[in-house]
Amino acid sequence: MGETTPAVEIRNLVKDFRTSFRKKLLRAVDDVSITIMPGEVYGLIGPNGSGKSTTMKALLGLVAPTSGQCAIFGKDSLKVDSRNDVGFLPENPYFYKHLSGNETLRFYGKLCGLGGSALQERVEELLEMVDLTGARDRRVGGYSKGMLQRIGLAQALIQKPRLVILDEPTAGVDPVGSRQIRDLILKLSEQGITVFLCSHLLEQVQEVCNQVGIIFQGRMVKEGRLEDLIAIEDQTEIVLQDADERLIEGIHGMVERDGRASVVRTGKPRTTLERLFLREISEEE
Amino acid sequence: MMDHSDTMSVKDSHVRRVLVIATHAFTQLVRMKVFYFLAIFAVIAIGSNFFNLPQHEGPESAGTEVLRSIKSWSLGAMTLFSVVISIVATALLLPKDVEDRTLYTILAKPVPRIDYLAGKLLGVMMLVFVSLLLMDVLMTAVLHIRTSMVLDQRVAYATELGWPQEAIDSMAAEVNAMGSTWSLQGAVLAVFLRASIMASLALLVSTFSTSTLFTATVSFLIYFIGHFQADARDAYLHVGEVGQGLVAKLVTLLVTLVLPDFQLFNVIDAVIEGQVIPLVTMGKLVLVALYYALFFTIASWFVFSDKEF
Ligand SMILES: Nc1ncnc2c1ncn2[C@@H]1O[C@H](COP(=O)(O)OP(=O)(O)OP(=O)(O)O)[C@@H](O)[C@H]1O
Ligand SMILES: [Mg+2]
Repeated sequence: MGETTPAVEIRNLVKDFRTSFRKKLLRAVDDVSITIMPGEVYGLIGPNGSGKSTTMKALLGLVAPTSGQCAIFGKDSLKVDSRNDVGFLPENPYFYKHLSGNETLRFYGKLCGLGGSALQERVEELLEMVDLTGARDRRVGGYSKGMLQRIGLAQALIQKPRLVILDEPTAGVDPVGSRQIRDLILKLSEQGITVFLCSHLLEQVQEVCNQVGIIFQGRMVKEGRLEDLIAIEDQTEIVLQDADERLIEGIHGMVERDGRASVVRTGKPRTTLERLFLREISEEE
Repeated sequence: MMDHSDTMSVKDSHVRRVLVIATHAFTQLVRMKVFYFLAIFAVIAIGSNFFNLPQHEGPESAGTEVLRSIKSWSLGAMTLFSVVISIVATALLLPKDVEDRTLYTILAKPVPRIDYLAGKLLGVMMLVFVSLLLMDVLMTAVLHIRTSMVLDQRVAYATELGWPQEAIDSMAAEVNAMGSTWSLQGAVLAVFLRASIMASLALLVSTFSTSTLFTATVSFLIYFIGHFQADARDAYLHVGEVGQGLVAKLVTLLVTLVLPDFQLFNVIDAVIEGQVIPLVTMGKLVLVALYYALFFTIASWFVFSDKEF
């Protein structure tokens, strides 16, 4: 065991769903293979309905593969013991409304076999970590979307799993909360926890993941190390501060004289909407 | 955590998880305010004192009618509440988890599906048990007070007439038999057993139904069929005797294996009339209930283990 066992191993996963009463089958996942080694942060991206959630559910044994195998740390996903070492945050999570945040975490902890003071300590630690200490005794039914997402994240981490699977962890969360979640994921990865996530916020995927897979209509269309995937090898970027017209013209001239190189584009770099939003928010405060 | 589950025996961890899910289901139901119906029961139990005013009775039989009425109304209400709660609560819990997708988070933990089902069922049974216990305490209290009132009245009347002591004693025994007896507790247990069968049946139905309404309707239907199935069986057997006896017998056997015969629970009516339930009958009821509860739970597991969400 150890470093050689992949945290996630999905081999040739195919999943068909029966649609309506007609016998027509819908292929949600089509021959997808993913291997994630311990310590990696893997981001699965793709348009709506491309099979991201279905892949994750198959990995957790919530749906049975039509063909192919899934394993977590070498244990078959269809067996219960494969779930000892994994935490899952489903998309749009929803918890028992009648429980408070504290009770929710205690419930999931007990399901994992925790108990006594060890459990309560872990619960306090997680409430602190996801910033819900103030809302710990409020019923989850009254939680906002972002709070639900955070309690869901805490719930996934309750038994200190070595792998966490996050299905759109930042969906419906405001940019500040979404940044907190991003920082949390980075922290998990620093602790050596393997993360498998999917998201539509490509910028965030780019910030946290070191492996990326692009899935489209159930098929894996591109996969690999993020750096390899996004680097444009034959281009170089220069960003200048306080440069005047003359300097720019000089640079253009130098490029022209070079003969081989050419200027692709010049102009003002734009801040991202996200950065702008965050800046404005922090100025307001 | 790994080391934790390693030190725990497999059986232990099953029991613990089932209990965790059961207590959770119990709390969930309690927080849905199901216990409010107990107030209605209190009204019935106390009101049944006056439903049957014994004005027309002669003083020598005065009172026993009231005792009968208290038992009849209370046990009737217990039956109604316990069956309704066990069906509706079970029919509610499973689809709710599927709909709210809380089930994902539970099954993504190391929770075997049978533990989940058994936990939910046990939680509903705990609720029914506690409700019946509370109702039983109330009924017994009302009955106790009323019995001693009736007894005082009758003994006073008999002494006035100068009855011999033996006659008074046998009259007192007769009155006490109508009051709160061990058989009455047995009848409450029988009500619980019947409700347990219904809860496990509703669990089975809810594993393949998609809505609470469907589960509840089908379960109530089977409940009523269960009351007539013995008659239907007899009728069928009579027809069968003419034709192929073996096939008919096999069919009946199969029907009884999967469909509970609720006429077994008619002992409850006998108790209302002041009769004694033999221990053997009680034991038989317990075994029958255990069989159906196990059978339905295992069948639910078969359906549920292949389910996708
Ligand atoms: N239980 C189901 N029954 C039938 N079809 C399903 C089921 N679950 C998913 N599908 C179908 O499978 C396809 C993939 O769905 P999936 O939820 O995996 O997409 P996704 O990539 O997670 O999309 P999104 O970004 O919107 O969350 C969709 O076409 C969906 O309609
Ligand atoms: Mg999805």
